[in-house]
Amino acid sequence: MANVVEGIMVVNTETIPGKVIIESYGVVSGSTVRAKNIGRDITQALKNIVGGELHKYTELLEESRQEAMQRMVSDAMARGANAVVNIRFATSAVTPGAAELFAYGTAVKVE
Amino acid sequence: MPKENIRIRGFLVIIISFCILIISSSVTAQVGGSVDNGGDGNTILVVLFIIPFLLFGGLMTLYGIIYSIAYTPIFIWGLVFSSSNLDDMIKQTVERETKTFTLLGKDPLSTLDGGYRDDVSSSGIVWAGAVYGPSHWHLLIGFLNNVLGGSIDIFQKVISAGRAESMQRLREQAIREGWDEVINVRIDTSALAPAASKGLRAVEVFAYGTGIKYD
Repeated sequence: MANVVEGIMVVNTETIPGKVIIESYGVVSGSTVRAKNIGRDITQALKNIVGGELHKYTELLEESRQEAMQRMVSDAMARGANAVVNIRFATSAVTPGAAELFAYGTAVKVE
Repeated sequence: MPKENIRIRGFLVIIISFCILIISSSVTAQVGGSVDNGGDGNTILVVLFIIPFLLFGGLMTLYGIIYSIAYTPIFIWGLVFSSSNLDDMIKQTVERETKTFTLLGKDPLSTLDGGYRDDVSSSGIVWAGAVYGPSHWHLLIGFLNNVLGGSIDIFQKVISAGRAESMQRLREQAIREGWDEVINVRIDTSALAPAASKGLRAVEVFAYGTGIKYD
């Protein structure tokens, strides 16, 4: 499946359906702060006047989440886990124009 | 790996600042040493340090002027069309929802953790998001509503349109990735940081869950 990254299963349920957890490796996390270039900011600010969806920011957050997840997964791999369960996402605004995306979960080994 | 990157960047910053120091000291030495030579050193100083700042400042000023000129026509455009655009958006989302429901016979999303069948072959995270903002005309209506008190229906409408849209995207994403069902769905709403001093008013609606596939 598309989201089983590099052989690591990532789910947001407490257990993996159909599998048994045999070992826990603690909390793993990954975060990223990204921003679009100033040209995009300008066009999106103009688009915001008429309302509706801001596609470039949707895209930006999508890419950022992918990156945060990748970092979380490589953290889990470094600990020798083969799955991450119960993951959560959090968003915080650091500075105008940039958002921090944070993903965290529990690294486990399943059989 | 990230630590190495930080070190390399630190070295670069130090080297660049040394270069600037050396250039500027040589420039000042030239200017000080050869007063009768004319404004040669001053020209270098201007080219190296002042022009980039002027360029950036000029661009920002240009943007400010364009924004203030374009604001009124775009605002009027929003006044005329934003309400019907919003209705169209809601209608399209509902149409796609109905299509998905008739295709699958049920809603593939559920907030339950458990209760699924035992013959699960694989599972994985699936997510979708959308950034939605009210138009400035809607903001004005919302502001007036706020003064008078009571419920501000227009914001509720915009945000629930965004929420329906991101849930529909989650369904479509799950179907595209080949999942049969999505369990433990969570919906997260967060305000986007304002990108300019003018202020960008938008919310991000983000839905995620665990896709499962049966044998």
